[in-house]
Amino acid sequence: MITRYFPADALTKVVASLADERRVLIPVTQPAVKKSVIFAPFSAGMTVELHKASVAPKEAVLPQCETLLTYSKQKDAEDPSKVNLVLDDKPQAQPTIVFGCRPCDARGFAVLDRPYLDGPFIDPYYQARRKQLIVITQTCPSVGTTCFCHWVGSGPNSTTGSDIMLTAIDGGYVLEAVTEKGEALLAGMKLEDGAPFMDKAKTARGTVEAQLAPAPDLTQAQEKIAARFNDNTFWEEQTAQCLSCGACTYMCPTCYCFNITDEGDGVCKAGRRLRTWDTCMSPLFTREASGHNARMSKAQRMKNRISHKFSTYPENWGGEFSCNGCGRCINNCPVNLDIRAIVLAAINEKGA
Amino acid sequence: MSVLAGKELRIVGFLCNWCSYGGADTAGVARATQPTDLRIVRVPCSGRIDPLFILRALLHGADGVLVSGCHPGDCHYAEGNYYARRRLEILKQFLPVLGIDPRRFEYTWISASEGQRWQLAVTKFTQQIHELGAAPAFENAEKLIQIADMALTALRPLGTGQHAALADLKKAIVEKLPELDCVIGWQQSYDAAHSAPLFMRKPEDVEKLVWGPLNVNNLATYLPQYKGKKVGIVVKGCDSRSVTQLLQEGLINRDDVVVFSMPCEGTLDMARINQALGAYQHIDKVAYDEAGVSITADGKEHRFCMVEYAQGKCYSCATPGAVLADVRLGTPTPVTGTPATPPELALLDSMSLSERFAFWHTQMERCIRCYACRNACPMCVCRDYCVAESRDPHWLTQEDTATEKFFFQTIHALHLAGRCTGCGECQRACPVGIPILALRQQIARAVAQTFEGYRPGMNAKATPPLMGFTVEENNIKEKDWNK
Amino acid sequence: MRIGVFICHCGSNIGGTVDCAKVAALAATFPDVVYATDPMYTCAEPGQAAIEEAIKNYQLDGVVVASCSPRMHEPTFRRTVERAGLNRYMFEMANIREHVSWIGKDIEANTNKAAELVKMAVAKLRNNKALHAASFDVNKKVLVIGGGVAGIQAALDCAEGGIPVVLVEREATIGGKMAKLDKTFPTVDCSACILGPKMVDVAQSPNITTYAYSEIESISGYVGNFTVTIRKKTTYVDWSKCTGCGACTEKCPSKKTPDAFNEVTGLTTAITIAFPQAIPKKAVINAQHCKKLLTGKCGVCAKTCPTGAINYEMKDELVTETVGAIVAATGYDLVDWTQYEQYGGGRYPDVITSLQYERLLSASGPTGGHIVRPSDGKEPKNVVFIQCVGSRDRSIGRPYCSGFCCMYTAKQAVLTKDHMPDSQSYVFYMDIRANGKLYDEFQRRAVEEYGTEYIRGRVSKIYPDGKGHLIVKGADTLLGQAVEVEADLVVLAVGVEAAKGAARLAEKLRISYDSYGFFMESHVKLKPVETNTAGVYLAGVCQGVKDIPASVAQGSAAAAKVLSLFSKDKLQSDPQISQVDIKRCIACGKCVQTCPFGAIELFDFRGQQKARVIETVCQGCGLCTATCPQGAIQLAHFTDNQILAEVDALCQC
Repeated sequence: MITRYFPADALTKVVASLADERRVLIPVTQPAVKKSVIFAPFSAGMTVELHKASVAPKEAVLPQCETLLTYSKQKDAEDPSKVNLVLDDKPQAQPTIVFGCRPCDARGFAVLDRPYLDGPFIDPYYQARRKQLIVITQTCPSVGTTCFCHWVGSGPNSTTGSDIMLTAIDGGYVLEAVTEKGEALLAGMKLEDGAPFMDKAKTARGTVEAQLAPAPDLTQAQEKIAARFNDNTFWEEQTAQCLSCGACTYMCPTCYCFNITDEGDGVCKAGRRLRTWDTCMSPLFTREASGHNARMSKAQRMKNRISHKFSTYPENWGGEFSCNGCGRCINNCPVNLDIRAIVLAAINEKGA
Repeated sequence: MSVLAGKELRIVGFLCNWCSYGGADTAGVARATQPTDLRIVRVPCSGRIDPLFILRALLHGADGVLVSGCHPGDCHYAEGNYYARRRLEILKQFLPVLGIDPRRFEYTWISASEGQRWQLAVTKFTQQIHELGAAPAFENAEKLIQIADMALTALRPLGTGQHAALADLKKAIVEKLPELDCVIGWQQSYDAAHSAPLFMRKPEDVEKLVWGPLNVNNLATYLPQYKGKKVGIVVKGCDSRSVTQLLQEGLINRDDVVVFSMPCEGTLDMARINQALGAYQHIDKVAYDEAGVSITADGKEHRFCMVEYAQGKCYSCATPGAVLADVRLGTPTPVTGTPATPPELALLDSMSLSERFAFWHTQMERCIRCYACRNACPMCVCRDYCVAESRDPHWLTQEDTATEKFFFQTIHALHLAGRCTGCGECQRACPVGIPILALRQQIARAVAQTFEGYRPGMNAKATPPLMGFTVEENNIKEKDWNK
Repeated sequence: MRIGVFICHCGSNIGGTVDCAKVAALAATFPDVVYATDPMYTCAEPGQAAIEEAIKNYQLDGVVVASCSPRMHEPTFRRTVERAGLNRYMFEMANIREHVSWIGKDIEANTNKAAELVKMAVAKLRNNKALHAASFDVNKKVLVIGGGVAGIQAALDCAEGGIPVVLVEREATIGGKMAKLDKTFPTVDCSACILGPKMVDVAQSPNITTYAYSEIESISGYVGNFTVTIRKKTTYVDWSKCTGCGACTEKCPSKKTPDAFNEVTGLTTAITIAFPQAIPKKAVINAQHCKKLLTGKCGVCAKTCPTGAINYEMKDELVTETVGAIVAATGYDLVDWTQYEQYGGGRYPDVITSLQYERLLSASGPTGGHIVRPSDGKEPKNVVFIQCVGSRDRSIGRPYCSGFCCMYTAKQAVLTKDHMPDSQSYVFYMDIRANGKLYDEFQRRAVEEYGTEYIRGRVSKIYPDGKGHLIVKGADTLLGQAVEVEADLVVLAVGVEAAKGAARLAEKLRISYDSYGFFMESHVKLKPVETNTAGVYLAGVCQGVKDIPASVAQGSAAAAKVLSLFSKDKLQSDPQISQVDIKRCIACGKCVQTCPFGAIELFDFRGQQKARVIETVCQGCGLCTATCPQGAIQLAHFTDNQILAEVDALCQC
């Protein structure tokens, strides 16, 4: 695989050169008393800093809000009762690079790909974006208190979902292609060959790997969580703190649920069909048109979220968890609800 | 088709059917010449006018909004305009913090016989709007980054609660527990530097209870869902105001709640603590002393003085002790001086209107609409039925424009008018750090200024200002505008 | 939806300054509009027929008419669409006359504005829902407020029609101002002789319950079902025992009590019966002058009363009546003329009001019908009448004409000559307004047969000459010279204003009043008896100045309105009321707390508290809708989404 190297002070220049031809999403610190880091398009004048983002970069393939179609009603000039409906449902996509996300973020793309591309129905909007996406992932330079990627099949150096891996070494960065897409991109970049620096990169990766605390065994999670399905008391106890907001799911790199609404069909003659993020933690998620709600209580909703990530998704998709262990749902939760604790409690049956 | 370019501006009128719409008719019958800009929405009563209609118009392209109803005392529905007067006045005082010129909104009273007065009102208001010019569009606001200065002086000594009678509190809870469904308190969360709510059902749960500056959550948020059950709650002073407010609104029953309180010495601003700690894998030690806390993470010690790292709300807090409590342990430290303007609000106060518009646009763009602000709010009683996500009524689209996101914040703030106790949970809960508390603080300031220093959550028996009225309002000078 | 739009020219009223054809063409481009046209007169019979036809031909399920104010013709067009099979609420109006064509001449701007108002109406209509009225029982009983001639007439006509009447009068006797008059123009017949029998009819009608010396405390409810609380003021006399014999008034030692019935031209006793023909003929103690009530010492009346009716401990009493309709006939009071410094500001005893002069003329008045000067009791020779005192005067905020002063002044001049053949009357006037039947003829007689000297001009000053006369200085604007008259008595034709407390009563009735306190009718020409509150009607001067024939006519008209309302056993309720979306309601009770009518209650719904609207009590103000944070209670026809559609149509397109 092709490798490249560039010195630390060239980081912004490298991103800028990539941004000449495509949209490059980089983690951007949002100044405030409470700082957050959001993926945003690189533009001239920005300085690139590779902080771990507060919000996962799934925006690149699944925007918070996208227009699925626009329609306008064009009236016959002679007979106003004759209306010609004009539809435009072309997916809007542009070549995009996600630059500097973490392995836990990149693994999210692999998790999203399965339902959107590998199932019985291919989502054309997702597909259009995904095809034009290149993911350049930074191997994790440190481990956080809420990180548990290595519990769930990822790790600080996992390449799942990435096209290119970026590793910070003393004085510079090493780029290493993972996929053909990544190869092609690296081949076109006029940068130093990375081969001489690969050893340093591997050392850096190893140092972080070594910091990881031992992971609990989650191999039984799929069955054990499924077995908890009717244990309402358990879910109620685990969910007491939950406020039913959407911080966990919207921050999550693997949550892919959406809502569809039609807007603008007022007197404006044109309307649009929007797809927006939805959250299974909201009571509205399962409220039916009749008013009936399949998951009235937050305990039922939490059961769904945990079960989906650790039991039903693996059941459907070859045993893979739809959780990357990024920990965002823990440290962004207004009440610090810890998904790790719930999963461990669920699989460690009483006394086990 | 829209307003005539260069000639007209977009002015929306909301008129009550019985007086002002009739007054506008009377003006028409008298052939009283008026500017053509205004478009009138007819409503039965000024009391029907949700201030949000006005905000929606102003945020979505209106250059001015004029409301007119029956003169106070003459309401066709007896009292509608008395309520309207209070709500519209608070709206008017709210607009500047958003960056909207308050002169773009006026309200007045015109009877069905006062055609001439209507003519004057329309003429004067249209002229006023033309002098202001076309309203700036929120979506086009420029980027502006400013950060509140957190170097603040507290009204009382801030500390770490190490002398608090935690053992006594635990004992008191264990004693009461048999008659209660649960008692809500705090426990250590995923590490020793973070806390989380604790639901104590069994005596052994009580052992997990912690007390100190990490107990940031306002647990009153959980109370309404327990309505009908007997529960206990441990409160800080600020939390107790939320409990009081919930009682005032009948959202919980006094007999069903046992309030345990200890004097609060301030809570830590976890956003800044986390920032300072950076990425760490393990908390080695959390050591308290009188002045602050030292947290050792991955072998590195970080020092946090309470006077530097308290939450913004704590500095101007004048209620360290609970407003109401059934079990009260310890004595709160005395409060001296008068509260200063809260930091984020002070920052906005220092800005021009256009800067505020730009500030909010810059901030709101990153909102992910997770509604943590709403769900953490103890006063957000609509819960599962918030208008943010409903189609009927359809106040908000699901679009991710800054305008829609900002409009939600104004809905939340206006719904909290006269109810918000300033606990700051909305802002603390925001995962992307938008300083939204300032909007609620401006509403609270307007309410206090207009209604004789009224502070929500201080008296469960008081009538909330926007749920009542007086025939003569001492501090509302709406009649001055249209003289 | 399939919407039809009709842009009315209203002749040239709209068509003159709005390009109606262009508005119709623009309307045709709006969503769901399948038909748009611009008729000449939409409200006329062919215009309405065209709407009905279009509904059928184009299968319309909603109609927008852009024409005059919906306050004018919304009911008309609602009936039109209903005739063609649509629900009456699938209709919207755009007001392009009062709010567009009549207030500006810029055709481009007017046309654009008209089109936008149509766009708003279309946007709202697209959110409209068919609404269906419920029916409810009518309490066929009427409350008449005010026992003057208008109220008496309304009460008698209703009673005659078989309707129970509750008549509430503020004073101790009914009769109002007319009872104080000596004679009436233009026939110069005795006021007491023509009003008296009507008063007796009131007393004798089995259908009329009279509460004299009583006021309205509060009113709640709605058309067909009002609940009225009446405050019976303390009389200190048990009227169930009082026979009106008058023994008490003869013995009462407080004989220096100002006589209100006689407009304080004379004195009476502290316990008094207003006048011999009073209905009810009952005694009342004036607490301000009763020795017993002031000092505790006296009690003569109690000792005198043969039936033991006197009760010094009596307190106000509140009684409740339920009625289905209300007639307000509260009359008028005189403007406070003492603000006119040039007329002495009330300091000269021989400057009196015309109503005081009526009492001097009246045989039942304090002087037994002899005209004497209040200052010295001597008969005057020169009497000067000044018109328009407190009428047609912008400087004191009374720009309107009081209507009947010209005529009663002529009458008083005639009567002056009759009483004192060698007297001379002078009338200072601005214009003579004598437009009633036989009025002008009468006024001419005052001049031609009775030698009254009419001087066109205002009086600038009245002052005493020190020899017992008043010098009246003025201008004769016809001759263009100053005039000075030596008067023995000056009578001011003081203008009228709404009765004291009218505004407060209007608030209780939830009706509008103008800046002078006169009650607002529904339409100044076409609905002069109705108010904007269903079931509340107006009679007499409370609605605007008018003379006795007009007051009587309006009293009868109000009665006719009541009788026609009561001709139905059930009334249709307005379906524009609030509705609770029970799924969204969280029973926070904010709507219950703020509803001005107590029309919302909490109830138990499958174990959960929910709010519900009491349909017949809800008045449709929508305060609850603006109060409910989650939008769970929506005012039908003015829902959030309907108003939002209008706002969006304006702001977002």
